[in-house]
Amino acid sequence: MNNLHYLAAETTADAGLFGALGIDWRLLVLQLVAFLLLVFLLGKFVYPWLMKQVDERQANIEAAQKAATEAQKAAADNREKVAELLDAARKEAADIVATAKLEAEEMHRSSEAKAKKTAERIVNDAHEQIDKDVAAAQKALHNETIELVALATEKIVGAELSSKVDNQRIAKTLQEIR
Amino acid sequence: MYFAAIELHISIAAEPVFTVFGFPVTNALLTGILGTIIVVSLLGVVAWAVKTGRYNRFVGLVQWVFEGLLKQINDIIPDKTLARRITPLAVTIFFFVLINYWLSILPGVDSIRVDGVPLIRSLTADLNFTLALAIVTVVTVQIYAFRYLGVYGNAHRYFRNPLKDPIGAFEGLLELVGEFSRGIALSLRLFGNAFAGEVLLVIIAFLTGYLAAVTLPFFMVFELFIGFIQAYVFFVLTLIFTALAVSHHEPDSNHSPAAHPKKAALRGK
Repeated sequence: MNNLHYLAAETTADAGLFGALGIDWRLLVLQLVAFLLLVFLLGKFVYPWLMKQVDERQANIEAAQKAATEAQKAAADNREKVAELLDAARKEAADIVATAKLEAEEMHRSSEAKAKKTAERIVNDAHEQIDKDVAAAQKALHNETIELVALATEKIVGAELSSKVDNQRIAKTLQEIR
Repeated sequence: MYFAAIELHISIAAEPVFTVFGFPVTNALLTGILGTIIVVSLLGVVAWAVKTGRYNRFVGLVQWVFEGLLKQINDIIPDKTLARRITPLAVTIFFFVLINYWLSILPGVDSIRVDGVPLIRSLTADLNFTLALAIVTVVTVQIYAFRYLGVYGNAHRYFRNPLKDPIGAFEGLLELVGEFSRGIALSLRLFGNAFAGEVLLVIIAFLTGYLAAVTLPFFMVFELFIGFIQAYVFFVLTLIFTALAVSHHEPDSNHSPAAHPKKAALRGK
C-alpha cells in the first residue's frame, strides 16, 4: 500500500480547500457554460421533436379514450333502443298474433259456412238426381210392365194376333164409330 | 507480491493531462467531452429518427425513458407551462449525468495513463462539474421563483421583519441557508457517489489482481445502477426545488392570479 498516492493531501497544502477538492474556477465556468450551451442546443433542436411526438401520442390516447367513452355511451344508448325496439316488436307481434287468431277464427267460420252451403247444395243436387233417376226407373218399369202384360195376355189368349187381324179389327172399329 | 508492481492512484481532484494556453485540460474534461458527444449523438439520432419516422427498439427505449421523465416533471411541477420550460434543463441533467456517470466503468479507468496521469475519469467525479450543475440548478430555481413570485415575493421568503414575525424571520434565515445547503448537497452527493464508485472499482481491481475480470463486472453493474439512481435523484431534486420555490406560500398569502400578477402573466404566455 506504499504505492497509494493521496494527491489531495499534496494539493491541499498548495491551494487550500478549493484546491484540495480540485475546484478550479476556470474549469467550473467552462463546464457551466458548456452545460448551458448543451441545454440550449438540445432544447432547441432535440426536445421539441420528442415532446411533439409525446404530445401527439397523448392526444391520440385522449382521442381514443374519448372515442371509447362515446362508443360506450352509444352502445348503452343502442342497448336502450334495442330494448325499446324489442318491447315494441313484442307488442306488435302480440297484436299480430291476436289479429291473426281473430282472422283465423273468422276464416274458419266462413269456411264452415261455405262448406255447409256446398254440402247442402250437393245434397239437394243428389236428391234431384235421385228423383230423376227414380222417375226414369218408374217410367222404364211402367213400359216394361206394359210389355210384360202384353206378352202375358198374348200367352193367355193363345193366339197370336197378326197384322191382318189387327187391320180387320181396326176397320171394324172404324165402321162402328161411323 | 504482485501488488508492488501496481501503483494505485487516487486523486480527489481531476488531474490535468495537458494545458492549452495555460488552461488545464483535465482527464475529467476529456471524458466529459466524450460524454457530451455521446449524449448529443444519442439524443440527436433519436430526434432525427422521430422526425423521419424511422423507429427501432433503441429509439423506442429512449422515447420510453423520455416519456417517463416528462410524466415525472408533470407530476411534480404543478404548472404545466413551467413544467414545459423546465423540461430541457431537467431532462438534460438526467441524460448527461447518467451517461457521464456510466463512463466511470469504462475499461481503462486509472490504468490508461499519460505521463502518470489517468486519461479517463468520469466528469461526475469532478467537483467542478457537479458544482457547476448545482449552480445552474439553484440559479434556475431562483429565476423561476422571481418570475412567479416577483422580486419582493421571492425576497420575502428569506427576509422578514423579526419584530413583527420573529419565527417567520428565523424561518426565512433557515430558508436562505437551505438554498446554499441544497446546492452544496446536490454537488457533493453526485461527486461523492461518482468518486467513491471510481475508487471502489480501482480498489477492487487492485485487490483482486487477475481475478478482477471476474469480480469487477459485479461492481460495474452496481455502478450502473448507482449511476441511474444519482441521475434520477439530481433530476427529481431539481424539479422538487423548482416546485417548492414557485409554490412557496405563507399563512396569510393569497394565491389567486390577482395576488401574483407576474405568475398569472407567466401562465398566460
